[in-house]
Amino acid sequence: MIKLIEKIEGEAKLHFSFKENKIDFVDIEFLQTRSIEKILEGKNVLDALVINPRVCGICGHAHLIATVEAIEDCYESIDISKKAKIIRELTLNFELIQNHFKWFYFTILPLFGYKQAILKAALPSQLMGKAIATIAGQYPHTSYAIVGGVVSDITSMDLIKVEQYINETIRFFEKNMLCMDKDILDYSNIKALLSQKGDLAMIINDIFKNNWEDLGKSYDRFIAFGENSFFTKGKSLKTRRFSNISLDEIEEFSNKNSYAKNVTFKDTYFEVGPLSRAIINKIPLILDIHKKHEDSIVSRIVARVWEIPQLLNHTKELLRQIDLKEPSYIKPKKDISKITSTGSSAVEAARGSLIHKLNIENGIIKKYDIITPTQWNLSNGIRKKLGVSQKAMIGLKDEKIAEIVFKSFDVCSVCTTH
Amino acid sequence: MKQKMKLLWITSLACNGNSHSFLNYPHLEQFLEDFEFINHPLFEGTHTLEEIVSKHIYCDILLIEGSISPEILKADLNLFELIKRYSSIASKIVTIGTCATFGGIFKESEYEDISGLHFNAKNLLQNFADIRYKTISISGCPIHPEHLANTLYAIKDKILLQLDEYLRPKEYFAYTIHNGCVRNEYFEYKIDNHQFGKKEGCMFYDHGCQAPYTHGSCNKILWNEVNSKTRAGQPCQGCTEADFPKANLFETKKNMGIPSFLPFGVPKRTYLTLAGVTKAFTINRLEKELFDD
Repeated sequence: MIKLIEKIEGEAKLHFSFKENKIDFVDIEFLQTRSIEKILEGKNVLDALVINPRVCGICGHAHLIATVEAIEDCYESIDISKKAKIIRELTLNFELIQNHFKWFYFTILPLFGYKQAILKAALPSQLMGKAIATIAGQYPHTSYAIVGGVVSDITSMDLIKVEQYINETIRFFEKNMLCMDKDILDYSNIKALLSQKGDLAMIINDIFKNNWEDLGKSYDRFIAFGENSFFTKGKSLKTRRFSNISLDEIEEFSNKNSYAKNVTFKDTYFEVGPLSRAIINKIPLILDIHKKHEDSIVSRIVARVWEIPQLLNHTKELLRQIDLKEPSYIKPKKDISKITSTGSSAVEAARGSLIHKLNIENGIIKKYDIITPTQWNLSNGIRKKLGVSQKAMIGLKDEKIAEIVFKSFDVCSVCTTH
Repeated sequence: MKQKMKLLWITSLACNGNSHSFLNYPHLEQFLEDFEFINHPLFEGTHTLEEIVSKHIYCDILLIEGSISPEILKADLNLFELIKRYSSIASKIVTIGTCATFGGIFKESEYEDISGLHFNAKNLLQNFADIRYKTISISGCPIHPEHLANTLYAIKDKILLQLDEYLRPKEYFAYTIHNGCVRNEYFEYKIDNHQFGKKEGCMFYDHGCQAPYTHGSCNKILWNEVNSKTRAGQPCQGCTEADFPKANLFETKKNMGIPSFLPFGVPKRTYLTLAGVTKAFTINRLEKELFDD
C-alpha cells in the first residue's frame, strides 16, 4: 500500500507492508532533488550565504547561520563580537518559534480531525518574521549574517520594537496555545498541562482519550550537535547522557529507493529535534512526559510546542545582553580569496541538528555537504536496521495512524532533498 | 454565499519560500474570504493532490511556484501534462517567484531543460507559448506577499495590468530596489566608504549592491511591513531578475575603477560626469556617523 503524504514542505511516498494487519515495514521515498551541493561547487564561497537560505522556505535562516559559521570555521582565527553572536542567535530563535506555530496549526490539528487554523499559524509567525526583518531586512531569505558578524547596525529603538513583537507573541501563546496561569518553570509534569485550556491541552487530551499516548515509540536515542546560550550538545541513550560527541563520526550515505540520503552517528540512527534537545537539556516538563511515555508522539508534540515559551523568554533575556556599542561586524584579517581550508558547523534548526561542511581552495568551493534534521529522523533503513521514523511506525494498525506518527517528526521534504 | 475565486497552487522544484512568504500577507483573513485554494502546498484545499492529478478540477487561476522541467513528476503525473491541463482550465496563470519565472537558482540543478514557465533566464521559450497571453509573472526570491495578493485581486476585479517584457506588473517592477533606500544620499554624493555593520554608506560601490539595476519595490513596499535588505545593510542581490543569482555577490565588479553595471538607463558618460562633480566636494554630514554629535 502506497500513501502520498503532502503538505510536508513538498511530498513523500510511504510504501507500507502489512503482516497480520499491522505495519511490518515502511519504505520512505522522497521524490525530487535540487542538487544544491553541486550547484555550490566552483562558486565564490561567500555566494553560499545567498544560495543556502534557499535550501528551505521555512528554515532557511538556520541554513544561513550554518553557512556563515562553517565558512568562519575555515579561518585559523576570526573575531566575532558578542553582539553579533547574540543577534544571530536571536533571529534563529525567531525562526524556530514561527516554525513550531506553523507545524502545530497547519499539520497537527488536521491529524486530530480539526480544521487547519491558518490565521493562528499566520499571526505569530508574521510577528516573528517582523522581528527577524527588523534586524535582518526581511524574512524569509535574508543573508544578513556575513563572515565577520552581521550587516545590521541595530539601534535601541529596533530592540524596543523587537521586544514588542516578542511580547505580542507571548500573549498570543498564552491566549491560544496554552492558558498559562503560573510561571513557566512551575510546569514540571504533564498533569499541569492537561488541566489547562488552550489548543495544546486540547490535542494532548485528545491523544489520551484515544489511548494514543504511547504511539510512535522508536529507539529512545537522541542527539543534538548545535550549541548556543540555550541549547547544549550531547546524546542520550535511554536515561544516560553524554556530552562528548564529534561531527567526525557522522556518516551520510545514499539509499536506493529515495532521493534523500541516510545519516548515522557511529553507525547508529538517532532522533534529532525539540524532544532530543529537551532530553539533553533536561527540561523538567519534558523529562516527566518522557519518563512516562518515552519517545512517543505525546512527548514529541509537547516538546516542540514547549520550546515556544522557553525560547520567547530566553530571547527576551538575550535582548538585554546586547551591548550596542560593540561592533556588528569585524572585518576578517585575511581575505577569503587567500584561504584554502575546510570548515564545518552545527546549528539547532527548528527540526533538529543541521550540519554544514565545506572545503574551499582560495575562497572557491570545492565541496559542500549539507546534512539536514529530517535526514536524521527519516533515514530510510532496511528491515534489519530501521531508521528512527520507520521504527516508530512499525506495529501500527493503519496508515492514518502512521501518518500522525510520521508527521510528529515535523517533516521537511525540501530540506531533505536539497 | 459569495463565490470565491478558485486557485490552484502547484509547486515544482522549489524551496517553498514563496508559500511561506505569502503567509506574511497582513490581510490573510480577508484574502481567504475572497479566494479558496483547490490545492496548496501548505493550506488545506478543497481537493487532494492525488485528485488534482487524476481529475480535471475547475480553477480560475493557476499559480506555479518553482523551476519546471519535463522530467519532473507531480504525484506521478508529468509536470508539463499537469500544467497543460490546468492552464487550459484556468483563465489566468501567475508564475510565483524567480524560479517559476526565469528558472532561478535551480536552473543549475541536474534536471533536463529546467527553466521558468516562459523564460530560461532572459531567453523567451517556445514551450507554453500558447498560454503566454494569460500569464503574469511575479518574480522575486521569494515573492513579496503583497505583490502576489494584489495581483490576484487585480485579476479578480478584471483590472488590466501593464506588464513589462517579462510579463511582470509595472506597478511593482517599473521601480528599482534603489528607489526608497535610506542610503540613497550616499549613492547620490558618491560616498564610497561603506563598511558592513554600519547604518551609513552605499553598498553599490564596493559591496556588490545591485539595487540601482534591479527591478522591484523592496524599498517602496517594505518586507514584513518593516524593513528591507538594503536598509538593514545587506547588498541587494538582484533576486527579482532573470540572471539571479549572478556570481561574486558581495563585491562590485569594476572596470578601471568604474562599476561594470550602472544604474538602469544611465549612460556611462553621464555617470562619470556626475561622479566627477560630486567627488569634488566633501559633504561633512555624510562623512560622519549619523548619530555623531
